[in-house]
Amino acid sequence: CEDFLNEVPQTARSAENFYKTGADFNNAIIGAYANFKHPGLYGNGGTNASMLWLTEVVSDNSTHGATKAVSNLSQFELDEFNISLSNTVTTSAWTGHYIGIGRVNTILDKLPAAAFDEALKARYEGEARFLRAYNYFNLVRLFGDVQLIDKGIDNPYGANDITRTDASVIYDLIINDLTIAENNLPATIPAVEAGRTSKWAAKALLGKVYLTRNQLDLAAQKLNEVITSGQFNLSTPYAATFSPATSYTNNKDVILAVQYKTGLVGQGSALWSDLTPWGVQNTLFGTTGSGGGFMQPTADMENAYEPGDLRKEASMQTAYKAANGSTVNVRHVVKYKQEGPQAGDADTDFPLLRYADVLLMYAEALNNQGQTSAAEPFLNQVRARAGLPEKTGLSQADFSLAVEQERRVELAFEGHRWFDLLRTGRYVEVMKNKGYPVQEFHYLYPIPQRETDLNSQLTQNPGY
Amino acid sequence: YLLITFQALAQINSLTGKVTDENNQGIPGVNVLEKGTSNGTVTGTDGSYSLRLNNNGSVVVFSYIGYTTEEMSVNNQAEINVKLVPDLQTLGEVVVVGYGEQQKKDLTGAISSVNAKDIQKIQVSSVDQALQGQIAGVQISTTSGAPGGNVNVLIRGVSSITGGVQPLFVIDGYPVSNAGIGNPLNTINPNDIESVDVLKDASATAIYGSRGSNGVIIITTKRGKSGAPRIEFDSYMGFQEVGKKLDLMNAQEFAGMVVDARNAGYLDNFPNGNINDNNTVRPGVNFDISDKYRDPSTLPTTDWQDAIFRRAPINNYQLSATGGTESIRYAVSGGYFSQEGIIINSGLKRYNFRANLDGQLSKNLAFGVSLLPSYTQLREVPASGHYGALGIIASATGMDPSVPVYNEDGSYGNTIPPVDGNAAIQNPVKIANELQNPSSQFRILSNAYLEYTLLEGLKLRSSFGVDLNYYKSNLWNPSTLSSSAPTGPATARASNTENTNWLSETTLSYKKNLGGDHLINILGGFTAQRAYNNSVTVTAGNFPDDLITNINGGIVNGGNQNIEVNNLVSLLARANYSYKDKYLLTATVRSDGSSRFGKNNRWGTFPSASIGWRISNENFMSNITFVNDLKLRASYGVTGNNAIGNYRAISLLGSNNYVIGDAVVPGLAASSLSNNDLSWESQSQLDIGIDLSVWNGRVNITSDYYDKRNKDMLFNIQTPSATGFTNAFVNVGEVQNKGIELGINTRNLVGEFQWSTSFNITFNKNKVLAMNEETARIFGSTAPRANSNVTQVGYPIGVFYGRRAIGIFNSDQEAAEIGGQPNAKAGDIRWKDVNEDGKIDDNDREVIGNPNPDFFFGFNNSFSYKGFTLDITTNGMYGQDVYNAMFAINNSGVQNNLSFIDEARWRSPEEPGSSQYGRLWGRAIRGGLNGNTSYSSLYIFDASYWRIRNITLAYTLPAAWLKNIKVQNARVYVAANNLYTFTKYIGYDPEVGIAESNQTAFGVDFGTYPLNRSFTLGLNLSF
Repeated sequence: CEDFLNEVPQTARSAENFYKTGADFNNAIIGAYANFKHPGLYGNGGTNASMLWLTEVVSDNSTHGATKAVSNLSQFELDEFNISLSNTVTTSAWTGHYIGIGRVNTILDKLPAAAFDEALKARYEGEARFLRAYNYFNLVRLFGDVQLIDKGIDNPYGANDITRTDASVIYDLIINDLTIAENNLPATIPAVEAGRTSKWAAKALLGKVYLTRNQLDLAAQKLNEVITSGQFNLSTPYAATFSPATSYTNNKDVILAVQYKTGLVGQGSALWSDLTPWGVQNTLFGTTGSGGGFMQPTADMENAYEPGDLRKEASMQTAYKAANGSTVNVRHVVKYKQEGPQAGDADTDFPLLRYADVLLMYAEALNNQGQTSAAEPFLNQVRARAGLPEKTGLSQADFSLAVEQERRVELAFEGHRWFDLLRTGRYVEVMKNKGYPVQEFHYLYPIPQRETDLNSQLTQNPGY
Repeated sequence: YLLITFQALAQINSLTGKVTDENNQGIPGVNVLEKGTSNGTVTGTDGSYSLRLNNNGSVVVFSYIGYTTEEMSVNNQAEINVKLVPDLQTLGEVVVVGYGEQQKKDLTGAISSVNAKDIQKIQVSSVDQALQGQIAGVQISTTSGAPGGNVNVLIRGVSSITGGVQPLFVIDGYPVSNAGIGNPLNTINPNDIESVDVLKDASATAIYGSRGSNGVIIITTKRGKSGAPRIEFDSYMGFQEVGKKLDLMNAQEFAGMVVDARNAGYLDNFPNGNINDNNTVRPGVNFDISDKYRDPSTLPTTDWQDAIFRRAPINNYQLSATGGTESIRYAVSGGYFSQEGIIINSGLKRYNFRANLDGQLSKNLAFGVSLLPSYTQLREVPASGHYGALGIIASATGMDPSVPVYNEDGSYGNTIPPVDGNAAIQNPVKIANELQNPSSQFRILSNAYLEYTLLEGLKLRSSFGVDLNYYKSNLWNPSTLSSSAPTGPATARASNTENTNWLSETTLSYKKNLGGDHLINILGGFTAQRAYNNSVTVTAGNFPDDLITNINGGIVNGGNQNIEVNNLVSLLARANYSYKDKYLLTATVRSDGSSRFGKNNRWGTFPSASIGWRISNENFMSNITFVNDLKLRASYGVTGNNAIGNYRAISLLGSNNYVIGDAVVPGLAASSLSNNDLSWESQSQLDIGIDLSVWNGRVNITSDYYDKRNKDMLFNIQTPSATGFTNAFVNVGEVQNKGIELGINTRNLVGEFQWSTSFNITFNKNKVLAMNEETARIFGSTAPRANSNVTQVGYPIGVFYGRRAIGIFNSDQEAAEIGGQPNAKAGDIRWKDVNEDGKIDDNDREVIGNPNPDFFFGFNNSFSYKGFTLDITTNGMYGQDVYNAMFAINNSGVQNNLSFIDEARWRSPEEPGSSQYGRLWGRAIRGGLNGNTSYSSLYIFDASYWRIRNITLAYTLPAAWLKNIKVQNARVYVAANNLYTFTKYIGYDPEVGIAESNQTAFGVDFGTYPLNRSFTLGLNLSF
């Protein structure tokens, strides 16, 4: 009789009989990676990617180059530092990261009981833990203390009274996850698996976490392991790092990227079509639709490039040629340019972890430990590819600023600027000096109204 | 030897006589049966009969519904005249209750019955339409006049917000699923129905457990009676026409409105403009005025309603035979029903058969079989909805009247591509002719039972039934038919659904007089039911031509298969106890296990109890002789609503593909949260009722008070993101329906001229008592307005929610002084500043109407004189509002040719409009900045009505005329349906609703297929 009442869907997959075989877990892990494309993270790479709004548009790097309208009020709230509790971008970021955490929590819950190849299980655990750490690392930096969820929740009221946990405890979870991940993940990723995380991605991320926590020797140790692995180098020219033409395996600068694919298979990137100047026919830029004006570089950004920096032209343009041949002066990002595909269907991957990032973090870690001269070669490695002269003999403080400047131009429009200034504690100072109405409380985003409405135990960040 | 035989023959009596009623009037149609045989006949029109007896010592039985059965011993008499006594208040009448029958006098629950005569007097395709206005507590709305169109049936109000609200339909004991063309009643010929019993209170419905809380409608089809074969032929034919046409503007009025509206819009948007500016100066096309509108005097006028409506035939033929012996009885019939729609190219055809067989295999073993096959064909046209979605009504009432139906070259006239600054509207005649959407359904409901009498009064009954239901539809939209361009891509869709359902039931019943005054009747049972649904839909596009009008002609570009199963296992029990025929007690309990419910809540138990007190049987009442029956009833019980959808408790996985190794690889992730606690919606209901019959049954009154509380309603709530999901289905909230029902039947005049009246009225109040904390409001949306209806605590379900219009600004200055509406000018609508913040925006919305009636009623009269009978059936509703979306989308002075709009519009402070319905409509303006067409109280109308549903005049031919043609009974009639509706409502009909059974968006009129008025001529013959 109970059997008669146990009906499972026949034309939809149910979770009941899932999480059994290696293939099930592989599908679940892919499903967890796919969450990189949640609009709260990187979405389709364009204007629906919260992480770019929350790290680039709120910084001195860029602004929103579109016309303000009812449909983009939340985006302008960020650009204008007048962020409401119901801001859709921050709300989406919160939701998206927790959905990602939910997916891997379920995998980690079910994995021990499943019977299949132990090596494979270890790898899936590593990938799941890496993704959980990645999501929490973003959350804890965006929102401060957040809800600690490390087990799957299987009822609708399961999170109704979970309070915020001290950020340091969240960091403990992140570090523990990444430590297991770096042991479990493979050292090499074959071309057919490009897009999955490796041991090195875990170490690079762990190095970044330690650096953020100011655990400098541990940071330096992890970053050094990546550098000495011999797996990575700086692609030349700089543009090759972002080119859709260079395959992931050939591009040794990229350690991990969000994967996009053209061909109208629902996996394309809107980064290029949304970055083109606002309202302009995109046929001028080799794609369709009209320009999104997204992440329009500021004049300050334009001026941040030293004369002769090869990266400038590969990263941004200050004008375009209109159909009638006239020149129109509008700054726009060209880093992810790909001519050919329709709007929203580009192939260009979006880098999450790069070798250049690792080199600069290593330099930062060494310098902060007082080893400024030991740090110099790693800064200069990055500068050399950009065609810029070496910097030597700087004081520790000046070297710090040099790294900050180098990161700004090297990693421009890649979602680093806000995090970098947060880590160095210079966000308010830098922004205020440039006339932005940034205040101390802007170091954190507001806990979304949606969440505080649903869970009265959640406290709000100060200032909101 | 020969002589003896002759003598024996001679001894056989031929019995004749006449059966009369209490007024000495002959009763036609009385069954006369030689007891213990199949030998019988039926009385003729004057009540006389003639029966050849097999045995002169027989007993002859005279039986007729509504009268007590008489048995007479023949004793070699040649003539027996019988006077039948009315069965007072039809107390002996048997009512079908769940899993059994009960005498009406013993009922303790609220059950209403309608017999065959009252069902068949209205010529409709489906019995639910015929029930409208006949039963207290049952609100029936024909929300579409299309053949086979939707009918909403609500028993005692809307009791669920997001779950199902329709009652459970039980056909010959089989609870059927609600799938196919219309509801399951659409597959049954109303002529095949013996009775309809409506179970309303918990005492009656709890025996159906988790399916009982929306009420239960039990349909019983006709079964054979032993006796001579009786063959009946029933037929009617007639025509239908649109019940009401709306006044449309002529081309000149339309042109005048267009000119004013475009000038006003131009000045609003371009303050430096001048109305004398020509089209080259005016930006865009929205404010262009073509020359034909500037000088419209010679423009012809097309009546678009005449173009789409027609006089359409309706036909019904049915042949049936009943009869049998004591050991086997049969009732078989075959019928054909055809109804063309009043909108061109729509219609319904139905072929149906019925075979009911009952027999006695041995003294203790009885069996029966029922088969109800039917085949229905439907041709649908897209009557409702926006003209942009090819809505025929919106196109016809929106089209420029100067456009012809056919151009001179024979092509269809339309405004595609947009010409003269008008919106693109397709020709509604072309839509009806070229869009093909035929569907068909084959359904066979079959059931068989065995009943074994173990002991006197103790019966074991086992039945098994299967309901096979297949339907398919094919949609073809040719390339020539687009709503916005001269041609568009052709599309086709094919859809096939298989619905199979089986039911197994075993019950044990025991009925015993315990000696003296104690009578018990106990029932226990076990049932299992499985519903399987498999639907496949395939779509195609990219057709190279229009030669192949199905998916094979194009490239298949989409497809979907959906298989759903739901299983139900139940245990049920009922006990009736009666003491001295005065004190009655009923208790029921049902336990349902359902595959729909979460693991932790798989079984639900639904108990009920009721008591009855027949005061009229008390000694102290013996002197009060005018009271024939007086009974007080009270019941309380819990029932459920399991219409919460399948697999909602289970966490489902969705596709979450990603790119790995530069290839798309499949990924999976949970797309919904499991909820192992998910369960039925639960309802507790209190009912207190009174039944009174006085003056020899001349006046019968039944009244009930009820209070229903629905708890644990299915809600899709928001969940904290930390769950990994943003929403989930849970059970929360509470809705109350409470009300009073009153039914009065009177026989006002008896004698040669008879007059009887039945009246029923229901007051129901619906109120949301609690909702999920986080979901303060649920919006219901019906195109073209999102969030037109709101469901929130303290209000009825699905009330209208929008801005409140509080007048017109008569001058620019007045608008500026009052403020809050910076763009308002003279002739614009003034809104109420609900939150008093000095500005008008979306926060200034409030409840502006209620689609639920305050009360609804039926008022029916029957007259008869000699062979003539006249039936007048009326019904009405009071206090419900309708949101007229037709006006809302079209009231911008561009896409509307309803005269009403032109008459009511503001022209100047001196001519503010005709103020119809106590409100002002504002100026005609296209693209005005004040947003006069915002969803507001301007478009909410009182839709109270009183409708003459049916008038039937019938004449039963005298038996003397029929003798020679071997016809026992012949009746001819003329009938008019929906003859007239008294209403202030300005649309086609006050009974509307494009949301069909979506209870959170009731009462929206957006080009609903209008109801028809029909005239038919009918004939009933029996042989």
